[in-house]
Amino acid sequence: MADIFEKCVNWKDADLAKLAGHYAYYRVIQETDGTEVLIDGKRVIMACSNNYLGLANDPRVKEAAAEASRKWGASTCGSRVLNGTTELHDELDHKLAEYLGREAAVTYSTGFGTNVGVLSSLILRKDTIFADRMVHASLVEGIQAALGDCKRFRHNNMDDLERLLASADPESGKLIVVDGMYSMEGDLANLPKIVELKEKYGARLFVDDAHGFGVLGEGGRGSGEHFGLHDQVDLQMLTFSKSLASIGGCIAGPKEVINWLKHKSRPLVFSASMTPGAAAAALKSLEIIKAEPERRARLWDISERFHRELRGMGFDTSPSVTPVVPVVIGDQTLCLAFWRRLTDAGMFASPVVKPAVEKELVRTVYTATHTDAQIDRSLEIFQRCGREMGIIPYKRPSTRVEVKMARPGCNGFYSSAEDGITAISVERSPVKGSLGVGEVLQQAGRPLGERISDAMEIVTWRALNAGPEDVKRLAELPSTLWQQRRRLRTKLMGAGVKLLQRRQAGARSAERE
Amino acid sequence: MVQPVVTEHPAAAGQSARPDPEVEVVSVQSGLEKDAFIRLQWQINKGDRNWVPPLLMERHEFLDPAKNPFFKHSEVGLYLARRGGEPVGRIAAVNDRNFNAFHGSKAAYFGLYESVNDPGVAAALFNAAKAWARWRGLDSMIGPMNLSTNYDCGLLVDGFDTPPYLLMPHNPYYYADLFGACGLKKSKDLYAFERTAAEPPPEKFASIAEKVRKREGLLVRPVNLKDFEGEVTRLKAVYNAAWEKNWGFVPMTDAEFDKLARDLKQIVAPGLCLVAEAHGEPVAFSLTVPDFNQALKHVDGRLTTFGLPLGLAKLVYYSRKIDRVRLMALGVIERYRKRGIDAVLVVETIRRAQELGYRGGEISWTLEDNHLINRAIEACGCVRHKTYRIFETPVE
Ligand SMILES: Cc1ncc(COP(=O)(O)O)c(C=O)c1O
Repeated sequence: MADIFEKCVNWKDADLAKLAGHYAYYRVIQETDGTEVLIDGKRVIMACSNNYLGLANDPRVKEAAAEASRKWGASTCGSRVLNGTTELHDELDHKLAEYLGREAAVTYSTGFGTNVGVLSSLILRKDTIFADRMVHASLVEGIQAALGDCKRFRHNNMDDLERLLASADPESGKLIVVDGMYSMEGDLANLPKIVELKEKYGARLFVDDAHGFGVLGEGGRGSGEHFGLHDQVDLQMLTFSKSLASIGGCIAGPKEVINWLKHKSRPLVFSASMTPGAAAAALKSLEIIKAEPERRARLWDISERFHRELRGMGFDTSPSVTPVVPVVIGDQTLCLAFWRRLTDAGMFASPVVKPAVEKELVRTVYTATHTDAQIDRSLEIFQRCGREMGIIPYKRPSTRVEVKMARPGCNGFYSSAEDGITAISVERSPVKGSLGVGEVLQQAGRPLGERISDAMEIVTWRALNAGPEDVKRLAELPSTLWQQRRRLRTKLMGAGVKLLQRRQAGARSAERE
Repeated sequence: MVQPVVTEHPAAAGQSARPDPEVEVVSVQSGLEKDAFIRLQWQINKGDRNWVPPLLMERHEFLDPAKNPFFKHSEVGLYLARRGGEPVGRIAAVNDRNFNAFHGSKAAYFGLYESVNDPGVAAALFNAAKAWARWRGLDSMIGPMNLSTNYDCGLLVDGFDTPPYLLMPHNPYYYADLFGACGLKKSKDLYAFERTAAEPPPEKFASIAEKVRKREGLLVRPVNLKDFEGEVTRLKAVYNAAWEKNWGFVPMTDAEFDKLARDLKQIVAPGLCLVAEAHGEPVAFSLTVPDFNQALKHVDGRLTTFGLPLGLAKLVYYSRKIDRVRLMALGVIERYRKRGIDAVLVVETIRRAQELGYRGGEISWTLEDNHLINRAIEACGCVRHKTYRIFETPVE
């Protein structure tokens, strides 16, 4: 009989990562002011929160939360339907609906719950969801909980979406589900085209504006406002854990739909409401977002500067057009090692690996309250670590692809990787490295004989074509090795971890037999 | 004289292809991806007995920015199309900054094209290349250029029945149809002429050439391989001056010229590269090389088999058996043009080739509207046997 816990006992990936010094998660923060945090007793620059406008540490917001806790207590101890709706919750519903210009809105206690709750209660047997392949995990969870069918289209690939829409049953209800702003790569949903398709095929549109709200559009109302298509978005979802500097989620749309959700959506009915403190903080933040657009402008300014400088150094930051600036590394071990070096040098950024993204990257986000000096320091750290790890060249590339930013009014694009093709800083690629013997030998899928034979081919060619420069390079080998020592160490470590993992997997399957 | 018919492809007149949604086009970056990109050529062309496999490693070096000086002034994007994980097509998009600066244009090239016979794949590839070009602010695309007119270029549209000569392209017959279906239009045709060396140049032609030589006081001599560096410097100036006004021409950078010279040095036959000097100044040159393809054909792109240098040995063996040559470049500087100096060099080349025991050769390529040259070539007994086409398309 199989023990349900067995897989957990055998799962050692995280332990291996810790062993290699590459474990990046569940770090304990000892102190924070929003721009810098204390970790392991060391001050580091915070570049991975989603506190876009810096409101989480704003005295006014903190005070509002404290005041509400004093007045209403620490928790409501009940769900929205029964005893969990205080005046604060009601006010928040109305203020949000009003600001978003929608008929009604309702708040959940997390953004995650909102997405699950909306999709699972709205999508019945005959309905079909058309979701981007890169939508947030909470939407994936909602899709799995929903009764209807789901079709996923390639990320922002409108031809793919159209093909799926065209081949779907014309009788079924259709809901297109996208993130307004993608949280890892920083590109936007191609709303102009999606709206066109939605109208052509009679579908409804759900936009998760968790990251877009407070950041995109003249008034910070999100991706719909940015593209001038606010009214064409049928359902807009927000979370409070980003710009609104609190915790909770909200869905806004037609009043009949909101009414349906209020009675059918399980996370709303069977989960306690937001704490009064959280509701008050969100209310206060909303007020500040309305009153202080300069925070948004500051966020765009520093992110644009940071992004431009990174590209100038030769980092691959495609396809971001927003304050989320991903640094694409493309190799898991190297990505984690790079993160490790950044941390040691005083940066707190987040490494993101497969399957959350297609290519491993280090994600950075700054907040409106970061100072110019902090940005300078970050840039210096990125440049130093990037060079030491061989991610960027020592010499600054002479050319680069211009950075695009989806500031208010700049709505002619949704990604700096149009038509699904990534824009890459020039010097690093598109065509880079040469075929190395090591690479050829490591190819897992091919017979060893072929690999060796190919390696011999390379060696023979090189020997035949060796010129005076090659001899010179050979003489420089020791110093090159010394410069690249960190990279070598990482590579060795990565190989070691892989080997251990494989041994383990082997042992596991042997045990089963 | 037999005039081959250039086929006009029906697909060129209209119906447009749409990208197949099942096809994924990915940009090629790492060495291994490049390997897949290069090997696709084998998969596509394997069945064609006239196709000559290039050397695998030579292709790698050609696409290596660290080795190929072309990448110093150009930006190249390589794309591989896959269906269900299997490679089915490839394309390169090129921004040759020297070309655009020279012609004041904003054109991209496409090149290195290979694909299965499927308009959906072709359309997906061209979409990728166009997006690449659009992103760089370029407004039109010409090709195939592999990767510029200084290397091989053009799509074979007529004359599929014989193997190509050295550094000339060869491709499946259906590419022209695919290009047409993707909205590409003919831009220019390039001609290749062939003749046997067995018979001497026609009497009349030879005597005219002799007269020209006397009149201009030309000294025609083979390139001195012993003073290689010096000759290269002298010829570079002639090369770049001679081609200036031509359609599609890009001046070679010093590094490019040196690399080409170095590569060709390994295969040139002494005595076939000629320089014409008037009053001690080089005014024209011709570059004729043995058709190394005849040797390459035997090794299937590899120098080694199971680590043994069998390919290399075969190359050395078969390179002794080469019996054709290709006259690949002939340039006359501006002041001396239209005086028949080209005829002098052609006659001299034929004579020398005959002496060295070659059985025939090709003169390629020439522009279709360079009537003066084309007529002269035909007058000396050559027959047009292959037609290559350059296509163009706007990047909207
Ligand atoms: C796009 C997106 N949707 C939903 C959520 C979930 O929000 P919450 O953190 O409020 O649960 C997140 C947060 O990570 C998100 O990035």
